[in-house]
Amino acid sequence: MEVLAIAAPGDTIHVYGEVHEGTITIEKSVVLIGHDGAVIDGGEQGEVVLIKSNDVTIEGFTIRGSRISNLEDNAGIKASECRNTVIQDNFLDGCFFAIYLSGSKGALVEHNTVVGHNVRDDQMGNGIHLWKCNSAIIRNNTVRNHRDGIYFEFVTDSRIIDNISTGHIRYGLHFMFSHRNEYIGNLFRDNGAGVAVMYSHHMIMRHNRFEANRGASAYGLLLKEINDGEVTDNLMMDNTTGLMVDGCNRISVERNEFRNNGWALRLFANALYCAFNDNAFIANTFDLSSNGELKENVMSGNYWDRYVGYDLDHDKVGDTPHRPLGFFALLVERIPYAMVFSRSLFVSLLDRAERLLPTLTPAALQDEHPLMRQQEWVGKADKNNGNAPISVRTMNGRSNDMDHG
Amino acid sequence: MLKVFKYTLIDLARNRFVLGYALLMLFVAEGLFFVEDDPSKALLSLVQVVMALVPLIALVFTIVYSYDSLEFTQLLAVQPIARRSILAGQLLALCTALLVAQGFGLGLPLIVHLPNMAALMLSFSGSGLVLVFTALGLLIALKQREKARGVGVGLTVWFLFVLVYDALLMALMFSFSDHPIEPFVVPLAALNPIDMGRILVMLQVDLAAMMGYSGAVYKDFFGSYGGIAVAAAVLLLWFVVPTLFSFRTFQRKDL
Repeated sequence: MEVLAIAAPGDTIHVYGEVHEGTITIEKSVVLIGHDGAVIDGGEQGEVVLIKSNDVTIEGFTIRGSRISNLEDNAGIKASECRNTVIQDNFLDGCFFAIYLSGSKGALVEHNTVVGHNVRDDQMGNGIHLWKCNSAIIRNNTVRNHRDGIYFEFVTDSRIIDNISTGHIRYGLHFMFSHRNEYIGNLFRDNGAGVAVMYSHHMIMRHNRFEANRGASAYGLLLKEINDGEVTDNLMMDNTTGLMVDGCNRISVERNEFRNNGWALRLFANALYCAFNDNAFIANTFDLSSNGELKENVMSGNYWDRYVGYDLDHDKVGDTPHRPLGFFALLVERIPYAMVFSRSLFVSLLDRAERLLPTLTPAALQDEHPLMRQQEWVGKADKNNGNAPISVRTMNGRSNDMDHG
Repeated sequence: MLKVFKYTLIDLARNRFVLGYALLMLFVAEGLFFVEDDPSKALLSLVQVVMALVPLIALVFTIVYSYDSLEFTQLLAVQPIARRSILAGQLLALCTALLVAQGFGLGLPLIVHLPNMAALMLSFSGSGLVLVFTALGLLIALKQREKARGVGVGLTVWFLFVLVYDALLMALMFSFSDHPIEPFVVPLAALNPIDMGRILVMLQVDLAAMMGYSGAVYKDFFGSYGGIAVAAAVLLLWFVVPTLFSFRTFQRKDL
């Protein structure tokens, strides 16, 4: 590693099977490639690899030993105020923060494996942490057991594609004040609180899988104060709450599959001009829940496995509207422990009566055109891990290739 | 007692009602699994059927059978057999017959279609309900002299357990919703054997939703082995207490 001092900008340095101890600071545009299990061990000193120049590539290293600190965000790989940083094929083992980019432009973080210690949340930083960046691409990484798997704050025009983020103490993916970003084809599973997208606008969320995020305040996907977002072709499965929408405007939620969640969709009454079309709701305890009147939102063409209507003209669309908001869902919203009466005969009777003669549930939100059968393309997020490009036929038959590279 | 048990069981085996019960359960269970694509959804429908139907059938059948076999009971009573043995034999035979029928009608489809924890819980609580409501039915039959009255009381008891109890509890919950009565509502619900059985199954099925909010508390309680032990104890209590009353009544009864 001493060679760094004499390297010229633009050089490529190959490191073979060497264990380097201590912090490395890179102040030239070099490509650093590790082979045969090359290790950089920060030795709990502070940062491990510190990038301070444009056009730096770090590839193929095992990186460990960034010090846990309450004052500094020590990271396995940290780049600040750089352009075109490339971080790929590294293994970040138990770092405090693993990959930390601040003020970066056009970074590429690809094929890394990031594994944290999964201790208390004040002892653990985020897996991939971006602050005030733009045009970054985070692709094909596996992130496990950190605080937040992938964290974006003030990050714009970036893409998160085909990553796997599991077992984090807090969120698998977390956006704050980050606009015009896309995340596509990712898998989020077993995270303490699921995925949160907050205070952002023009977000695109497609073909992701949100699975098994369970707990009192765990969501498959939490949208808070989001304007103009698009949530399409995702699968939400086995979550306490599949999708939570709080204070959002002009969100379109389409062609998603909600399966086996406690609450498939929780919609706060402060949502405006949101559209929920062509989704499938299957085997959820509650399909929809809300804390008040739902106005100015649209809901149409969804498949509800609870729908009991008929289709006399055989156009595959039910002839009577479906009211997804049941009496019992409202009751549980008011008195949570009413949950003990779930599926008791008395509650079922009340629920049925309410559906026939709605008196308590707001009539505003109903699906005028519920489907009789689930559409084939709904929720076809990649069933394996989200690595392969998926083509999904859209409604009008166009092929919508999601591998944006 | 074993002789009484044996002959009553033979009589029950010939009884078309028991066979009918087994076939009905089999028909309902298979039908639900056939109609629903998703076996776990079929289970949910099955839970509602079991929680309503099993108590009803156990109650009504036990009551009707007790009246119909009154002459045989009188015949036994003049033999040198302790009354305790007669009743114990009969009760045991009734429970065995209904449990076997239910094992065939409900247990078999569950094992075939959905061998998981929720199905096991459903079989467990279904069996518990058979025992509880057979015991209750026997007590009612012994207390009432007239058959029609007995069946009437049986239906009323069923109605109380299956609907009225929940309705009252929910009314209570509503009127005291501003007070922290949560610690009382759950144990109160668990006192009703039907609710108890339902909660046990629901904890396995609606786990995701139960985990929300205070659900974790129930999960900690009922989901653990200790909780299942408590549930079993509640069911056992509901079996033992009516049975003790039955024995007392039968000892003193002028047949």
